[in-house]
Amino acid sequence: MIPAVKKSLLKIFLIPLFLFILVFTHCHSNIKENEIVIWHNMRPEEKDILQRQLNEFMKLHPGIKVIQLYKETEEMRSGYIVAAIGGEGPELIYGPSDQVGPFVEMEIIKPLNEVFHEEYFSSFNEDALIISDEKIWQLADKLGNHLTLVYNKKLLPVPPKTELELIEAGKKLTKDFNNDGRIDQYGLVWNYTEPYFFIPFLTGFGGWVLDSLNQPTLNTPAMIEGLKFIQDLRDKYKIIPGETDYDIADVLFKEGKAAMIINGDWSWSSYGNAGIDYGISTLPLITVTGHYATPMVAPKGYSINSNIDEKKLELVKQLLEFLLSPEKQLETSLEVKTFPSRKELYDNQQLLNDEILLNSKKQIEQGIALPIVTEMRAIWDAMRPAYQAVLGGFISPEKAAEQMQEDAVKKIREMREESENPVWGLIVQLMMLLVVLLTLFLTRKSIAAFFRNFKKNSFAYFLVLPALVIMITVVLYPFIYNIILSFSNMSLTHIHDWEITGFDQYIKVFTEPDFYEFFLKTLIWTFTNITFHVVIGVTLALLLNKRLPGTGIFRTLLILPWAVPQYIVALTWRGMFNYEYGAINLILVKFLSMSPVEWLKSPTEAFMAIIITNIWLGFPFMMIIALGALQSIPQDLYEAADIDGAKWFHKLKTITIPLIKPVMIPAITLGIIWTFNNINVVWLVSNAGEPSDKTHILVSFVYKAAFNLYRYGYAAAFSMVIFLILFAFGMTFLRKTRATESVY
Amino acid sequence: MNKKKFLVNLLTYLFLIVFTAIALYPIINVFTISLRPDDRLLSTSLSIIPENATFKQYVELFTNRPFLLWVWNSTLVSFVVTVTGVALASTAGYALSRFKFIGKEVSMLGILTTQMFPATMLLLPMYIMLIKLELINSYLGIIIVYSATALPFCIWQMKGYYDTIPFSLEESARIDGCTRWQAFYKIIFPLAAPALVITALFSFMTAWSEYIVAAQVLQDTDLYTLPLGLKSFQSNLTTEWGLYAAAALVVSIPVVILFIILSKWLVSGLTLGSVKG
Repeated sequence: MIPAVKKSLLKIFLIPLFLFILVFTHCHSNIKENEIVIWHNMRPEEKDILQRQLNEFMKLHPGIKVIQLYKETEEMRSGYIVAAIGGEGPELIYGPSDQVGPFVEMEIIKPLNEVFHEEYFSSFNEDALIISDEKIWQLADKLGNHLTLVYNKKLLPVPPKTELELIEAGKKLTKDFNNDGRIDQYGLVWNYTEPYFFIPFLTGFGGWVLDSLNQPTLNTPAMIEGLKFIQDLRDKYKIIPGETDYDIADVLFKEGKAAMIINGDWSWSSYGNAGIDYGISTLPLITVTGHYATPMVAPKGYSINSNIDEKKLELVKQLLEFLLSPEKQLETSLEVKTFPSRKELYDNQQLLNDEILLNSKKQIEQGIALPIVTEMRAIWDAMRPAYQAVLGGFISPEKAAEQMQEDAVKKIREMREESENPVWGLIVQLMMLLVVLLTLFLTRKSIAAFFRNFKKNSFAYFLVLPALVIMITVVLYPFIYNIILSFSNMSLTHIHDWEITGFDQYIKVFTEPDFYEFFLKTLIWTFTNITFHVVIGVTLALLLNKRLPGTGIFRTLLILPWAVPQYIVALTWRGMFNYEYGAINLILVKFLSMSPVEWLKSPTEAFMAIIITNIWLGFPFMMIIALGALQSIPQDLYEAADIDGAKWFHKLKTITIPLIKPVMIPAITLGIIWTFNNINVVWLVSNAGEPSDKTHILVSFVYKAAFNLYRYGYAAAFSMVIFLILFAFGMTFLRKTRATESVY
Repeated sequence: MNKKKFLVNLLTYLFLIVFTAIALYPIINVFTISLRPDDRLLSTSLSIIPENATFKQYVELFTNRPFLLWVWNSTLVSFVVTVTGVALASTAGYALSRFKFIGKEVSMLGILTTQMFPATMLLLPMYIMLIKLELINSYLGIIIVYSATALPFCIWQMKGYYDTIPFSLEESARIDGCTRWQAFYKIIFPLAAPALVITALFSFMTAWSEYIVAAQVLQDTDLYTLPLGLKSFQSNLTTEWGLYAAAALVVSIPVVILFIILSKWLVSGLTLGSVKG
């Protein structure tokens, strides 16, 4: 009998093994000698041009393969950091100039002075050479990424020159055509809740974000005036919508329901495609100060990976010279309306004849270069909450300016914090060793018994071990790595040379004032979600399990929220929560005669919005599990209960719930763990914690406050704390529900 | 009695209809986005069929984009992960439900703890590990990671379901001359069909929709899975929303088909009802 057992057992393990080998041999692609990889964040139209130009290059250099790979800006940055720290990554990375700051500090890109001659650089506009520590790190092919005023020529033939004209035109063009109390056309729209889109008004009133020592300069009269100006546009002159984000503003302009929009060069062609006859104009002069409202200008260009193979360097140089040549730049500029970086193109007639490019050039000449220092990231993160609080009416502009400054100073200090304590480092290392030894010592009997009884229990081990081995392989190394990291000072300035420094990071976690608030929010978030998931899921499963005609269709339709990719439905939900145009408010007003709710503007409602979205996303899964669980209940139990004349509620309590418990408990336990750490929905629906960084749970907070500011040691400690919270929960919950034991 | 039953059924349908409507509404919105001719995520109008509705996004998807390649890649990866998940979780869950052995409690808790760490934090060390194992840019790497991600839930879930099946079934099978393996494979395994369905669906979805690990590990565009492909329609502030929406809907179809096929075993009624507990 035993050989037969082995045979069939083998069969079940051989299938996956065979498939592994199949997949492994067929789809492993090696990194090739003559291959250059470029990561970039270009728009689709720009990408097509790049591909065309790369094809030309490959024709000139047979045997060379150049691959371009699109990545979203933020993800490209974090992905590149991970890859480069791991000693890998693409040969070239293309993106906005501000990514150079952190890359230089982390020493993951190569100075270009080692690759090109000095005279080559002199043929570029100075703004196109991204310099730090007197070396050039990035060579731009495009200048721009700048905001301008875009206007609908049909509604507004001549763009306003000053802020007064802007307000006047705005008032004239903001209209309620059918007098229903709802504005049907706005004078001006833009993504004004995002600090990057506020900058022109900061500069217009004479302010700037940082000084020559890279210290923030946010608490200034200019900031206060700028904030008041935005408030006035909305509340006093009423020429902009009460609640806007990027997508709403974009849609209003595309639908011809807004006369002007402030948006960047990336957006213009899409307005043409939407059939809008648009013009570009420089942002208005602020007459009170005599300054123009000027946007930030960010060059975009190429940097070389510091891990690059020396043999490829010459080839990469040739490729860059090809892509940055005046001919290629001109080609790109004329097609996608971006501005070139080669000086010799500046008096090119073709460029000067293009109305859009000409006005764009004017705006670029007025613009101020986006600072590339890493501090900028802290400044953006500090501006956003206070700025949004002003717009929400929670604090005054004066208070906001003060808060921004304080917050920026704090964030920069945290980012650059040094914690070196070799004594503590040694102690921690000894303690870790001690813990390992102690664990081994305490479990020595079990371990010995394990080997002694292995043979006796071999069948059970045979069944369990393959799964355990796979999980341990994947999780163990990252887990230990993270524990060590959590005692270390790994951060922006210590990427390669980090060392163990003790408990500082943990102390920082527990002294972080926001920790407790977000912990509470995480508990509410988790508890509410799971309760609704289970109640809705089980109820639906009970109804579906009655097997009335047609339930098969309902069953299939009801799993759709689970089947459709989360990203787009989460964003759809965000749209549904919009104050003016969202479906939810419309239903509240029209069918339930309630007053509309400002879902995304105030912290409590925004928090409710993310919970509602996640309940919607999660109930189908619980429904499927409950449906499966219901099948394990023998029908005759119900029949017996019916004979006894039991009411449905009684049957539910005494038969259904106890009998689906063994299957539901694991799903609930894991559901709680997953929901506790579910960053996606929070991030998408609240747009990374808006308003004012209040809509966070612990994981999204640690991502934003630690990971984004490259505080890896702190992030690791924070994650360990999250882990320990969940671990404590898991132990108690399982003990209470006795899920590790069998029921029979 | 009949009148009461009619009323109950009516209420059941009403409840189901309301919930189905809530479940479908946002998805109908996605469908609307896919019909818009000019890449717009939102609209100020609430109509389901937009102005100038067009199916050009769907045509574009299948003719001008390597969409079918992504579907094939994702199917391959998801299939392997599903088979691995079902094979390993059904056996491991069985052992945890039926046998007493040293290390059982530790394994069960250990399995659970793998899910407790915020995944984004594990990305860097996981990547470094995969580089060392030379599993970058290969499906083997992500298949192992996905299997490890899916297994904890699957094992616990299988264990929970086996727990509801009486021991007496195997005992009588053993008396009838079955080996332990045969008792599991021939008697208990088929009875656990609903749990196997859930395990299969869950493993499939884990692989079908995972993005973060895939984005770091797969750099060769020929190896792209669906989530990576879909993401390529997206750029900073100018996303090809029409295409994205169309693709998102097409991507859900295989999941729905799989569910319809597997539903047969999920609610077959052929399980414990026929076996006296």
